[in-house]
Amino acid sequence: MRLFTHNMLSSNIKGVANGFPLRIEVEQVLEKQVDFNPDFLKNLFPKLEWKALVDAARTMGYAELPEEADSLMLESEEFLRKFHHALLELHLEEGALVCPETGRKFPVNKGIPNMLLHEDEVPDLACNQVLCPTICERYGKVD
Amino acid sequence: MVFCFTRLNRISKANWEAFTLPIFVSCGISHPGIFKPMREIKVKGLSSLHNLASDGESHVQRSTSLVEEETGSLSVVQSTPEIEKKYVHRVYDAIAPHFSSTRFAKWPKVATFLNSLPSGSLVLDAGCGNGKYLGFNPDCTFVGCDISEPLIKICADRGHEVLVADAVNLPYRTGFGDAAISIAVLHHLSTENRRKKAIDELVRVVKKGGLVLITVWAVEQEDQLLVTKWTPLSQKYVEEWIGPGSPRVRSPSSITLESIPETENNSKEHEKDTESPGHKFGGTVLLTSKDDSSVQNQQEYFVPWHLPYHRAEVSGASACALANGLAKKDDKKGAVVYNRYYHVFSEGELERLVSGMKNAVVVDRFFDKSNWCIILQKTL
Repeated sequence: MRLFTHNMLSSNIKGVANGFPLRIEVEQVLEKQVDFNPDFLKNLFPKLEWKALVDAARTMGYAELPEEADSLMLESEEFLRKFHHALLELHLEEGALVCPETGRKFPVNKGIPNMLLHEDEVPDLACNQVLCPTICERYGKVD
Repeated sequence: MVFCFTRLNRISKANWEAFTLPIFVSCGISHPGIFKPMREIKVKGLSSLHNLASDGESHVQRSTSLVEEETGSLSVVQSTPEIEKKYVHRVYDAIAPHFSSTRFAKWPKVATFLNSLPSGSLVLDAGCGNGKYLGFNPDCTFVGCDISEPLIKICADRGHEVLVADAVNLPYRTGFGDAAISIAVLHHLSTENRRKKAIDELVRVVKKGGLVLITVWAVEQEDQLLVTKWTPLSQKYVEEWIGPGSPRVRSPSSITLESIPETENNSKEHEKDTESPGHKFGGTVLLTSKDDSSVQNQQEYFVPWHLPYHRAEVSGASACALANGLAKKDDKKGAVVYNRYYHVFSEGELERLVSGMKNAVVVDRFFDKSNWCIILQKTL
């Protein structure tokens, strides 16, 4: 699992208000070279939670990223290279991703996170405005 | 009103869970006694609803039917129906390497879509299977997910960024992706609400303005001979245990569990009689009650997958499947035959599913190689 994926992943367990970012437990980190693609880096930058990336990179053993970043820094090749390395070349090969609210561990094996929920963790679809506006109109919002 | 709704919702969920499980304990083995436990559970469930409700009976009956109709089915959205566990997940897990070896052709329409995306786009493939489309456009970055761990392992071995996840409940932050694709996935979801939820998820995970491509198998198959090899499932049967339907109690004669045919018999019958595919099962599958949908509305099927003996493990998934009745041996073809559940889509069905969406619009729709396809754009 690369860190751009980690920056997108969120725990969707029932009852969790904010499942992001998942805490990383490291057992094995690999570094794999990836072709430098500034387009991708510049496109991805505004989507990212920068602090989560910095923390995750540090957990994986890479502390070169600046604590804060803004889009102007994307002009700097040096910054882009560090950004590229953290985002794309660090792999969590073995370990776990931990839900920040429940502590539930999602295993990562051979670089593959398993984000499947157990039956009792699946959120109830009591209310999903997009899906059941009719119900909400009739009965009011349900927790 | 809210209180009543909440309690009924919890009870409805329990009913549906109790309702669905016993049926599939002995699925694939048709014997007349099987519908009896199901019927008892259903009646018991309704009576406990009546007992618990504090309002007048007529109010409860009206609320019950409304709530069960809507929330009963909605609550089933999130817990995986047994038919998908048995006839989608376990099958793909068992056939993964063989399946993957047959999935290599890139459909031109999907290719066009992917190649049209701006350079540097992040593309999310939900239900990526063997990763056929991951990395297809070298200027884009792909993340794939699938519920089948064996298939995902195949993707990972090819160097793709993938995870094991459920398309009905994507573990992604909202609006992160630039585009999403769902290629031949939604037809494996067994209720309309689950199919809607999966579409909601695809739209949720892309940014505003992001595009979503969905393709599904069509009722209107170009190769009609292929359809004769499929086992139609009675619509009434499907509604009984998984579908959004009113909870009216059916008479035993219309309960259609007997209509789940043995795979072996069907394949034999398929070979014998190709002239009238709709009537070869002696009427039990398709003509269970007078008001049943006619053959032309058939959308629920088991589609066989022949796993050659030399591909099936000696011990493991296939041996287990054979022992459980989940698969059959076809010595003539030298293969283990699995059934995959499909809800094939009729013309306009995809549009109907998305018509109520407040945050997406249809930007393209087409029929391609026996698949209905749609492209959505997220607006809000």
